[in-house]
Amino acid sequence: MIVSFASLGVGLIVGYLAQRSRMCTIGGLRDYVLVRDTALLKGVGAMLVGSWVVFGALHLIDGSRVAHGVLAAGTTPSGIRAVIAVLVGGILLGLIATFSGACPLRQHVLAGQGRVGAWAFLAGFYLAAVIYMSWISPTIGGWTQ
Amino acid sequence: MSRWARSPIFYGIAAAALAGAVGQWGKMSPPTAYGLCSACHGRDLADWFLNHVEGAKLYVASPGGSWPILTVVGLVLGSFLASRRNGEFGSINLGGNVRQFVFGALAMGAALFVGGCPTRIIIRTGYGDVAAVLALMGVATGIVVATLSMRWAARR
Repeated sequence: MIVSFASLGVGLIVGYLAQRSRMCTIGGLRDYVLVRDTALLKGVGAMLVGSWVVFGALHLIDGSRVAHGVLAAGTTPSGIRAVIAVLVGGILLGLIATFSGACPLRQHVLAGQGRVGAWAFLAGFYLAAVIYMSWISPTIGGWTQ
Repeated sequence: MSRWARSPIFYGIAAAALAGAVGQWGKMSPPTAYGLCSACHGRDLADWFLNHVEGAKLYVASPGGSWPILTVVGLVLGSFLASRRNGEFGSINLGGNVRQFVFGALAMGAALFVGGCPTRIIIRTGYGDVAAVLALMGVATGIVVATLSMRWAARR
């Protein structure tokens, strides 16, 4: 039960802040490449540095559950095929998110403020989640969650 | 809200802190760095719904097995509240909705394949996940290629 309330609360706060800041994780690099605007890129950098600091602090509080250091143990891809798969998947994700106009989290925020295209995006998003977990994931096997 | 609280930098720090805190104290633990993700948590909610309504046996990450993970609901509601309070709410139809539907389906497939939406990839990179570093490099490459190709298409 606590997980439902905790995740709903995090979603509410993050959604509120994301709507006010117009933050988009892919928008940072896109704006920089297009018009050399670094406002959103700074947000991406802050999230990266912030999560590194947060997980370091959590390690100091509770070292048994959280890894610390630049690299965490047990997360290295199993071989060259896994490395290529993750890289290709990442490139596809970047391409699709940029062509659709915003990263998936920003699409949720746009849906909340009334953008019809974002609701269409989310309809495909959740339909694909069920299709992927029903047929594609059992076929290829999952190495990440 | 003050100017500082509306900045992307504040959003990045707040999202990272909340993701770490909910992973540590909000029972959102067994997949590492699982605090905030729009693709994984959406997948968990959709699968949880089908498991409980239709009796399906789809994969749900262990935090969301018994009670649903509601991050995505909170995202939409939080954004709705923020836009209503500040007079920015409005139904806008820019067209191209079939295209967005297809992009949404492809984005979910790619995100589940690499293990998270771009937000969680960044948080996992901060955690020190090697696969997430690779995925982030791939995403950055994809964004640059897509942006340059869109500019090229717009200039022709």
